[in-house]
Amino acid sequence: MLTVENLQVAYGAILALKGVSLEVKEGELVALIGVNGAGKSTLLLTIAGVLRPVSGKITFGGDSLVGKSPEEIVRRGISLVPEGREIFSSLTVEENLRMGAFVRKNQAEYQQDLEKVFALFPILKQRLHQLGGTLSGGEQQQLAIARALMSHPALLMLDEPSLGLAPALVDQIFDLITRLHQQGTTILLVEQNVDRTLQIADRVYLLQTGKVKFGGTAAEVRHQGEVEKVYLGGVE
Amino acid sequence: MLSVEFLLNAITLGSLCALLALGLVIVYGILKLVNFAYGELIMITGYTLYLLNASFQLPWLVMALIGVLIAMFTSYSTELVAFRPVRTKSLSAMLITSFAVSTLLQNAALLLISPRARAVPLPKLFSASLTVMGIAIPWRNILTVVTSLVLLIGLTLLLKKTILGIALRAAADNFRMTRLMGVPADLVISTAFVISGLMAGIVGLFWVGRTASVTPTIGGAPLLIAFVATVIGGMNSLLGAVVGGYIYGLIFSFLGVMLPQTLLDYREAFMFLIVILILLIRPEGLIRGAGTGERVG
Amino acid sequence: MKNTNAGILWLKSHTTPFILSIPLLILAVLVQAYGDTLLVRIVTVLFINLVMVLSLQVFMGNSGILNFAHIGFMGIGAYTSVLFSMTPQAKAATLPDLYPFLRPIHLPFLPSLLIGAIAAALVAALVGYALMRLSDAAAVITLFALLVIIHTILVHWSIVTNGPRTLFGVDNYTSLGISTFFGILVIFIAYLFKETPVGLKLRASRDDRYAAASIGVNIVQVRWAGFVLSAFLAGFGGGLWAHFITSFSPYAFYLTETFSVLSMLVIGGTGSVSGAVLGTVVVTLLREGLRAVENSVNIAGVFPNNLVGFTEVVLSLLLILILVFRPSGLLGSQEIRLANTIPLASGKFSASELSRESSPKEGEHV
Repeated sequence: MLTVENLQVAYGAILALKGVSLEVKEGELVALIGVNGAGKSTLLLTIAGVLRPVSGKITFGGDSLVGKSPEEIVRRGISLVPEGREIFSSLTVEENLRMGAFVRKNQAEYQQDLEKVFALFPILKQRLHQLGGTLSGGEQQQLAIARALMSHPALLMLDEPSLGLAPALVDQIFDLITRLHQQGTTILLVEQNVDRTLQIADRVYLLQTGKVKFGGTAAEVRHQGEVEKVYLGGVE
Repeated sequence: MLSVEFLLNAITLGSLCALLALGLVIVYGILKLVNFAYGELIMITGYTLYLLNASFQLPWLVMALIGVLIAMFTSYSTELVAFRPVRTKSLSAMLITSFAVSTLLQNAALLLISPRARAVPLPKLFSASLTVMGIAIPWRNILTVVTSLVLLIGLTLLLKKTILGIALRAAADNFRMTRLMGVPADLVISTAFVISGLMAGIVGLFWVGRTASVTPTIGGAPLLIAFVATVIGGMNSLLGAVVGGYIYGLIFSFLGVMLPQTLLDYREAFMFLIVILILLIRPEGLIRGAGTGERVG
Repeated sequence: MKNTNAGILWLKSHTTPFILSIPLLILAVLVQAYGDTLLVRIVTVLFINLVMVLSLQVFMGNSGILNFAHIGFMGIGAYTSVLFSMTPQAKAATLPDLYPFLRPIHLPFLPSLLIGAIAAALVAALVGYALMRLSDAAAVITLFALLVIIHTILVHWSIVTNGPRTLFGVDNYTSLGISTFFGILVIFIAYLFKETPVGLKLRASRDDRYAAASIGVNIVQVRWAGFVLSAFLAGFGGGLWAHFITSFSPYAFYLTETFSVLSMLVIGGTGSVSGAVLGTVVVTLLREGLRAVENSVNIAGVFPNNLVGFTEVVLSLLLILILVFRPSGLLGSQEIRLANTIPLASGKFSASELSRESSPKEGEHV
């Protein structure tokens, strides 16, 4: 469904991604792990069209995404929940969700979608007319995911959804990701919470300083001890 | 001293300032562009009225409508031709571009029309007054206030109830994220410029109505007013712009009554001194907006 | 011996101001020797423009802050210097209400220029420190507000400026020689400022405010230093201009002049002294050419009305085109200099081999 080939991305003169290749198949939950600065968020932002690659290919459902604007990429069915949630704090919860549904042609289905989202996130129904900025961190994260779901994405990209949340909320978020996965949503997940991620992911890519260090199933990753090497000071 | 007339004048001026500030802020909120070419939209409305009046016999209302439409179109075109290509470059590049567009439009008017003032047609109502309880209220003032209210309500509805309006507010809040919702960047920015042109066009009708004439430099004063009002109210908030506009009207009228004759000449300098002080002490203005201050491209 | 070597080495890596000055100096000499009145006038204006554009570059180019107040300082320098250089008789004629203590003062040209420059620098120093905290749009609006304030004061302080009316009776001291001397001096000042520790810190703060602050650069202080130096030079330029034009009003120091100076800098390239010089030369010559066209068309009476604003229309279009297609200006942030490989000992600048400092590319954002 999504393939990334030999992708290079630079911030000024500094290369943040040095030839990354990976694949996400339909229905999969693929996780990207790696320490801060490994280039995980950069990869997601590049797929979403916010950053432009220096070289390399990104194809989605057979079409190249390189050079396409973020809005065009959303229309093709890729939705990003960025790090730090970035909900519209001066808009109400409902308005945030309406923005999420901006690309939906059939506005009649909007009400149904809204009900589905409320089933997943009951708290949002209570907060419907509150400003986004007044929500708690956990609620904002739920809103950010709900907003992304409103566009019916074929591929949902989540950038550190558990960051800064209380343990109980972290559980909730992981349960939710699992549920979305079971319902058939294709997910590309960036996470720091490696243990939990390995439990739910089908496949895992390990990113280190802009390169894919390892790619395989979650079980393989665990057995080969790659994670420890990267996280516990395993410098070559 | 704080007579009814004083208040009415302050509110009339404030209404115009509020519209002016809104038109400036709606673009600023999204692009962080302080549009120096904004004042020239007023000039464009004025010259449209002048040219229409010189060539055709049309009712004033039709001419006014065309004048406002031309201002909206000009605003839209300047964005398309001049601002869009430099949008991704530095903030300074965009500001200098707007300064260049302003100079271009002013001098085009000098070149193509005349450096001298040109007469602008006015409806008869503009010179009439309504007498209520012994106080003569000029119709022009009443029309200014009423039109402003109608526009403010209309704009509020647009921004709250339509998907495009919500997208505009979202873009001012977080432009990148708005694009990640699938909202085309060009669409919101164009819309902002069209609304900006609408505000300038409407203000233009009343502004040229003050002297019944238009000159190439007529846009200077309203631009400065819009600057002051937006800084007072808060550059990142539409509500702030409106509040700032009315406060400007009040302060300016108040200074007019309060300052001794020798200092009255410096009234403009005083207003700008307020601007500097506000930016130094409370840069976000009276009403703190949601914008992150992050610039977009 | 060692010192001499160090000096030569330094010169070898800082050839820019020499490369920029020599052709200009030759031009001035040639025009002085063979040029007619009009040509002498144009080249004098060129060098005055050079002072104005380079002084703007000193602050704007190195700090990255768009400075709209610049021409205000030019105005302060112009009016102040004139108050000191005019004869008491001339003052009595044009400024009858002048404060008594100013009436008898009559200083030579250069001290008057210096006082004008100091006055501009003082105003900049007093108001500047607080303003330097601001960045981006807030800084731009504040500096614009400062221009409006200075302008309002110049227009209404009739006692010393003759109000909105023209002030006349200024002696014509700014000859071609004088303007050439100061124009070239300012090339060196602007170039050397870039290389001083303050200039380097200022450029660091332009490229990355937070990184600069994190390595201990006091951004407000270095900006302030650049702002005051810039205003000093602008005041100087104002004095030069005033003693060239000899009669002027406050409207000379407002948006039209701001546009003119800004367009020279931006068209040439804000980030470098070379760009500022090139922009000044190109735009000054273009302006004079366009004015000549304007005048001949008007004299010939081709159109029923006089052609007004033609020059500005062309220049603003050019400026927009430059911003769209070459936003860092003709030269960008690259200084023209001789390649280091050329042996200076040979005494010849062998070829037109010019190397250019490369500038880091900005991170691309969509």
